[in-house]
Amino acid sequence: MFTLSRHGRVICSQVPQASCNGFDEVHEWPVLSSEDKEEIISRVERIIEGNNEHHEFLRQRAALMLDEMLENALYNAPRDLNGNQIYAKGEKRSLVSGEKILVRCAYDGERLFLEVSDSWGKLSPEIVQGYIAINLAHDTSTDRAGRGLYFMWKFMKDFYVNFVPGLKTSVGGYLLLNPDTCEYGAT
Amino acid sequence: MEQQFKIEIKKGSTSDTVHFHGNIDSHADNHFDDLIKSVSKRMVVFDFSSVGRINSMGIALLLRSIKSLKTEKGAEISIQGANQINTMLFKMTGIYLLAPETKRL
Repeated sequence: MFTLSRHGRVICSQVPQASCNGFDEVHEWPVLSSEDKEEIISRVERIIEGNNEHHEFLRQRAALMLDEMLENALYNAPRDLNGNQIYAKGEKRSLVSGEKILVRCAYDGERLFLEVSDSWGKLSPEIVQGYIAINLAHDTSTDRAGRGLYFMWKFMKDFYVNFVPGLKTSVGGYLLLNPDTCEYGAT
Repeated sequence: MEQQFKIEIKKGSTSDTVHFHGNIDSHADNHFDDLIKSVSKRMVVFDFSSVGRINSMGIALLLRSIKSLKTEKGAEISIQGANQINTMLFKMTGIYLLAPETKRL
């Protein structure tokens, strides 16, 4: 298990800082194909009740985070024996035998917990730290790897990666209804 | 319900306004090839008022098209109508350095 500091450094830990403990209700949805993505994003948006600008901004961030997390699980995580990506982004795909993707979500009116797990276990601390570092360099490279992870790290409080090599990767954290003044999506 | 992505170009006397509709992600890829061909004015406005979500792939597509329009057609591009999260993404990824924000008239 590791988290990332606000400077992009890896902090290894035994226990996640973010979890769904303490929430009254935790939603769990398995993903069976790429076609499930929009439906799951809609479900999470519906959980965030409220019509003021803060709720709307939380829904926007939640949709983006889930999009990036699910794209990672569906397309970036599956790798062949040579480490090459198996599926192209945007390609319709169903999960293969033995493959699992699970979305967990909980909301208490202030914090939205989001986690997506896959059964590939490819996201090592070195890879994540490398992605964050190249995205912290503020140039405008077009096809920069890891931009989605960078967005997660920027927007999520206590962003973490739980990684069992070759078996499981979980990526998660909190989105705040009212982010701190200078972090996690505050303007 | 997800809105199908499309691009609409309105030709003005001095500028072309490119209206994006729907989510911008990997499914929008092919539409961007046509965009480069269709723009003819030097002044170009990208309007995002009908856009939902833009993910990291969508950001890459936008960066690519903005750079192509600037280098191949010498275009000056500005951006209008982005919602709160998309405005943040444009700031984080340097899109506003290439195509500054403008207020709608």
